[in-house]
Amino acid sequence: MQFKQETLANGLVLIGEINPPSKSAAVGYFVRTGARDETPQINGVSHFLEHMLFKGTERLNVFEVNEAFDRRGAQFNAFTSEEQTVFYAAILPEHLIEVTRLWAELMRPALRDDDFAVEKNVIKEEIAMYEDTPMFDVMDRCRSLHFGAHPCGVSVLGTVASIDAMTAGQMREYFCRRYVPNNMIVACTGNLDWDRFCETVEAVSGCWRTEPVERPLTDFRGTKAKTRAEKANLKREHICLMHTGVSSQDPRRFAASLLSMIVGDDYGSRFYWELVDKALAEEASMHFSPMDGTGAFCSYLRCGTPNVGKVLGIVEGVFHDLAANGIREEELVKAQNKVLSVLVLKNEIPMGRLVDLGFNWMYCGEYRSIEQDVEAVKGVCVEEVNQVIRDIDLGSYTQCSLGPTTS
Amino acid sequence: MKQRMDTYVMSNGMVLLGEPMEGVGSVAFDFMLPSGVAQMPAGCCGASNVLSEWMFRGAGIRDSRQLGDALDGLGVQRSTLIGSSHIYLGGALESSNLAQALDLYADAILKPHLSDEQYEPARQLIVEELASLDDEPRQRVTIELRQRFYGDPLGRSTMGEMKDLEGLTAAKARQIAQHCLSIPQIIFSVAGKYDFDAVCRQLEHVFGACCGELPARRETTSRGPRYTHVPHDGAQVHIGLMTPTARFADEDYYNARMAVSVLSGSMSSRLFTEVREKRGLCYAIGAKYHSLKEAAGILCYAGTTPDKAQETLDVILAEFNRLADGIGDEEMDRAKIGLKSSVILQSESSGSRAGAIGGDYHMLGRVRSLDEIKERIEATSVESVLGFLRSHPFEDYTIVTIGPKEVRVG
Repeated sequence: MQFKQETLANGLVLIGEINPPSKSAAVGYFVRTGARDETPQINGVSHFLEHMLFKGTERLNVFEVNEAFDRRGAQFNAFTSEEQTVFYAAILPEHLIEVTRLWAELMRPALRDDDFAVEKNVIKEEIAMYEDTPMFDVMDRCRSLHFGAHPCGVSVLGTVASIDAMTAGQMREYFCRRYVPNNMIVACTGNLDWDRFCETVEAVSGCWRTEPVERPLTDFRGTKAKTRAEKANLKREHICLMHTGVSSQDPRRFAASLLSMIVGDDYGSRFYWELVDKALAEEASMHFSPMDGTGAFCSYLRCGTPNVGKVLGIVEGVFHDLAANGIREEELVKAQNKVLSVLVLKNEIPMGRLVDLGFNWMYCGEYRSIEQDVEAVKGVCVEEVNQVIRDIDLGSYTQCSLGPTTS
Repeated sequence: MKQRMDTYVMSNGMVLLGEPMEGVGSVAFDFMLPSGVAQMPAGCCGASNVLSEWMFRGAGIRDSRQLGDALDGLGVQRSTLIGSSHIYLGGALESSNLAQALDLYADAILKPHLSDEQYEPARQLIVEELASLDDEPRQRVTIELRQRFYGDPLGRSTMGEMKDLEGLTAAKARQIAQHCLSIPQIIFSVAGKYDFDAVCRQLEHVFGACCGELPARRETTSRGPRYTHVPHDGAQVHIGLMTPTARFADEDYYNARMAVSVLSGSMSSRLFTEVREKRGLCYAIGAKYHSLKEAAGILCYAGTTPDKAQETLDVILAEFNRLADGIGDEEMDRAKIGLKSSVILQSESSGSRAGAIGGDYHMLGRVRSLDEIKERIEATSVESVLGFLRSHPFEDYTIVTIGPKEVRVG
């Protein structure tokens, strides 16, 4: 593995981790923009814009874009979060340069009015689809509740009302402010020719203009509010809990990730033995979500209505026990083995490696090899995890439930 | 470089398969137990699910907690999947711990405690999972569709039936386990970094004494109604549609795969273009190939708001029906490249390779090399795909909708 980096005159950063034996390569554009960078008037614009990038440029229409990717057998897509918009493709090495050029061109989209009108319907269908997915629905509601007025509480999808009211002009204005070369990076991994990659990106992107861009970063410890919503079509109780976390830049993030594994991994965690093994809840998990300048732990529980009180009581007991007594050494060792296993398996494939490579640079402005991450995970001691438990105040959290009508 | 395939048939007939991968530090394995939902006695739909949970709740010298801790201590990423024909017990981990992980899985398969104390929580957990299906219309539509398309027992719900689970006793489940677990018809596959000789010696030692035969399966009964609507007061109508096609082992398999690829292999394919890009009817729209050993179908899903449901179904059916009218050369080239590319990209993952070689063996009695797959894809043509479609026209659709509004099926 060899790491490479170059910065164009306009501030666009190119990074690559070259691994010649790989059978494939991956490329991605990472744009530092997401729901937290929106105003309420244009809520949902980052995600909508992600869709619109695929609609083509002055030179290419949507059908030609899809055909151009498919002619190279690319597995390509994009995702938008509260703070990132990422466009990526996994391809055979011989097609990396053409697909990189295509992505580079798409980063300057036409944003046509008629495409905007058709895609508006698709976005509203996506909102409807997630409405029918209670796990997603309750997590989205809980995030808004937890972050309150903090920008990280803004919904990624937006609402039907905000999407209906949005104009193509507003989207173009947002695009011009956020998709500037000093607010994005291009990353590649796997079997590839770095010099040709750089030449290709520079030929298309070298002329993009730098603009001042900002994102205020404030930490937020959560509202710790509790609420329950009802939906007549639901049969089960869906519960989301959010704790304050640590940020993507914070050295405690490795300990935080081990803590979430100890509390809420799918197998063998505290939640697993107390809730799933006893069949009180069929799903009980906790994930650590580090973000830009802040962070959160997000837990999801699903159970039958008669079990709700018992489940929540046990969860509280798990948190209080950890707060009072900390974790055990053997729990830490198991969690470390599981985290390391995940790391090794994910990073063996160029597409899996791409996201970690890009995010490390986006958040910390540094390259971290897999070995460095492995060492960081192995180096965490019991006291460091216990310190995170104290820092985040494990007994205190935001709670949102979504379940059937009770009356 | 010629790809190496490892195969070993034990003295009792159990098959061990392997595919070594260069430059990886991980290993993934799969035990395919021939105890899927279609293998269960009548009235026991869901017993496979309960067994897959129960067998890990204490085995060999370890109780439930000790077994779970031992697997965690090795960093095993566990997966359990219940299919029509098999229970798939998978694991993936750093390769140096493989032998210990295999011993733990072998204990769960061959020496499960199946204690009364652990039975009720195991059964209850499966009941809880099934109860949650009511809140997941998108997942449910596929289950309902396969039930009607394949009939009983092939199409049985892979999540179980509530009335069967409610009546299933520990004694009955234990009796099923005795007939279904310690038998040499298990297929084992491994991919990544491993020593095949060592794996063979170890598994021969622990599984060598297995004997017995699979219980006979009942004949398939007729399929369900052509159209079923399940009322659900949600935001979308979830549309599932299935139509028969060539099976995995059939001569026309690759023609069928190419037909699905032209319909829905990627974003430039027909369904995505016509339903989403041109008309904005859906966010989620797609069709995929689905095969059991005995039958196969093309399975299409679309989710859309009620006012657009009829148009969505009409456009989907029109695309299926006009496929045999003609396929462009460029369309065909894109479909071929897409399929070949995805085969190569998937070959980089030890987990996906372990699953694929086991699946091949079950379906064909042998493992296909990547070169063979690529050559067979390359050998298809517009003429061969159209010839197949014209001799096997899409005319038999099974359709299920879940949502606030029914559709008209002509």
